[in-house]
Amino acid sequence: MIETVRLSKAFKEKVVVEDVNLYLDQGESVGLLGPNGAGKSTTISMISSLLKPTSGDVKLDGQSVIRDPSKIRKVLGVVPQEIALYQELSAYENLKFFGRIYRVPKDQLESRIQETLQMVGLQDRQKDPIKTFSGGMKRRINIATALLHSPKILILDEPTVGIDPQSRNYILEMVRQLNVQKGTTVLYTSHYMEEVEQLCHRVYIMDHGRVIASGSQSELLSILSNEDTIKVQVNQLTDAFITAIRNIDVVRRVEETGDGIKIIVQKSRNIISDLVKLAEQENIQILNFQMENPSLEDVFLHLTGRTLRN
Amino acid sequence: MLTFLKKDLLLFWRDRKEVSIVIILPLILVVILSFSMSGLFNNGLGENDDLSLGLVIEDNQDEAMAEFESTVKQSPSIPEEEKRALLSHVQEASPVAMLTDFLKSPDLESWMTVQTMSRSAAEESIDNGDLNAMLVIPENYTAQLLKNIYLDDGTEPSLSFVAKETAVEVDMIHDVIQGFLDTMNLQYALFASGSEMDFAQVKLPEGGMETIEDKQSFTFTLDQYFAFSMGALFVLFMASTVASRTVVEKREHTFHRIAITNTPALHFLFGKTFATFILACLQILLIFIGSHVILGVFEDRSLTFWGGLFFVAAIYSFAMAGLSAIMTSITLRLKNPEAVDGIFLIIIMVFGMIGGNFVPIYVLPNWLQQIGEWTPNGLTLAVLMEWFQFEDISLLWMPASVLLVITLIAITISIILYPKRGETS
Ligand SMILES: Nc1ncnc2c1ncn2[C@@H]1O[C@H](COP(=O)(O)OP(=O)(O)OP(=O)(O)O)[C@@H](O)[C@H]1O
Ligand SMILES: [Mg+2]
Repeated sequence: MIETVRLSKAFKEKVVVEDVNLYLDQGESVGLLGPNGAGKSTTISMISSLLKPTSGDVKLDGQSVIRDPSKIRKVLGVVPQEIALYQELSAYENLKFFGRIYRVPKDQLESRIQETLQMVGLQDRQKDPIKTFSGGMKRRINIATALLHSPKILILDEPTVGIDPQSRNYILEMVRQLNVQKGTTVLYTSHYMEEVEQLCHRVYIMDHGRVIASGSQSELLSILSNEDTIKVQVNQLTDAFITAIRNIDVVRRVEETGDGIKIIVQKSRNIISDLVKLAEQENIQILNFQMENPSLEDVFLHLTGRTLRN
Repeated sequence: MLTFLKKDLLLFWRDRKEVSIVIILPLILVVILSFSMSGLFNNGLGENDDLSLGLVIEDNQDEAMAEFESTVKQSPSIPEEEKRALLSHVQEASPVAMLTDFLKSPDLESWMTVQTMSRSAAEESIDNGDLNAMLVIPENYTAQLLKNIYLDDGTEPSLSFVAKETAVEVDMIHDVIQGFLDTMNLQYALFASGSEMDFAQVKLPEGGMETIEDKQSFTFTLDQYFAFSMGALFVLFMASTVASRTVVEKREHTFHRIAITNTPALHFLFGKTFATFILACLQILLIFIGSHVILGVFEDRSLTFWGGLFFVAAIYSFAMAGLSAIMTSITLRLKNPEAVDGIFLIIIMVFGMIGGNFVPIYVLPNWLQQIGEWTPNGLTLAVLMEWFQFEDISLLWMPASVLLVITLIAITISIILYPKRGETS
């Protein structure tokens, strides 16, 4: 129902989004992944008619909405990456103000406010000013505000950034319910791969302003079908050890984790014995080996050479 | 748009601790300033800046009287009885003597000094600013006047009133003299046309002086100056305070949230404009009423006076709302909105300086005062000062229209400057 066609944006000379083609079918839940500065938020701004694209188009049900965005504004709910609320006003006052701005009919506004507050579980705090809320609660009101006008399409730009696991689960569950029960189409942006794995049918991966991969989770994982991931826990690490592992011909990538290393190798050959040997040479004790099925995170690493969070 | 207005006012209400400082500070300043400065400036235009008039008498009254007497005596057409009455009346109330007596009367003495001098000396004094104006009683004035009134002969002579520039003070002197002459002429004319006149009334044209006093009326002092100037100045601050709230709305992205709805973008701007209007009105009225309650600056004034005060306050608040609209649009356009407060402060300081809100404007050179009236705050200050002294409704229309035009222009500019989609950074 919504799609972008070769959507591009440049600020002065700097190209930030380039030829991005995305589509969302009705009722779908789609993830948008990418490292910092990939151009996710800029893409969302263009879809939501905040920014005019330098070139390309945004279409709703096949019709361009660049020139006249009123149609898309009506059906779209956007949860911005930042908390976009009046800190001095109470949750209720914020919702009332934005409800009016979103043109929720007057006779429905009160009940919509209470419904959305209930949805985010903050009905009992509605009288308190936003500035007295915890980060997680602010995030929840930030989402509630985008739901007031019962949007058919919901875009969430990193809605769980920097909050406690409890609020996070709450939000994820809420989005899932909106998608499954109400049939809301969802575009979900996150740095947290597992959220997207949990929530989304399809995924787009962006880097440097471009979509570098897309598809269902299994399609993306198949990119890594000929690679294995090995996690090694050790008592200590030396540079020489890591360099030595890198020099094994089938090793694609080596990465330090908190208590050891993560190695991505070509399938087909077992390198465990090589590892044990190298560890002995360096006087390093291997505490634990673990073979992992590749995750989307690994796909991401494979495609961009970077982790999602840094 | 009401939604936006409500939101803006609600935000101010939430912030009332800080906002009340913005509102009360000027009142405190008025009180402090008028207490501390009243010694310095010797309180008031009336006593301090005495108006001065040079009186040049080129008329020879005695000669004219003698000539008139003989003309009357020789006239065959006037009955003897009437001749005597006429002559004693003229003797008792010779026009020039009456005028000079009037000018040196104690009532006028308190605010106007009259010096009799030669024409050349008077002209020089006016040139170098020692005199506000000079009044010349020309040669043969009495003779011509008497002939004209009583014998219906010749033209009515006129006095010449000379001033270097038009100023409130000059107008005041002119009005006083004109008022007196009107009364005097009326009295003479009544007598000449033969109506039964009470001589006592003619001797002392009290009616004339009373009319004159009504016109001149109230003495403008530093207390009023401070109330007016602080009122005008702090409403400027209010305009910028409201506009600079936009910085927060940009920083906290609430503006972006508004921008992706179907609500017309300009409603945001108009909400701010109206909020400024309301807050500006409140603030300026509070300053006026507060200074009255604390300092009694508008003691014994009529309802009309207060009405005019509120009228000017409202129109000025409109202009400030327009200014605030421009500032809002600028804020939305700036890449670095944090710089906005500084920029606005500079603008306000310059306006306040030029508009004479920092120094009692009437001690400034005349040309500076006139430039000041090119700023909305300076113009308002000048109008308020004139309104206070003369309470003449005709004084209000021009400045009010100018302020309204300024408002319209400002709002137009703000709409043009208001960022279209994608132009906000
Ligand atoms: N108004 C702007 N002017 C200039 N450059 C901008 C502007 N907005 C964004 N950028 C640049 O565009 C690039 C993409 O930014 P964007 O916010 O879209 O990334 P993102 O994928 O959302 O990143 P993050 O995960 O950190 O939110 C960044 O390099 C950013 O500096
Ligand atoms: Mg972003």
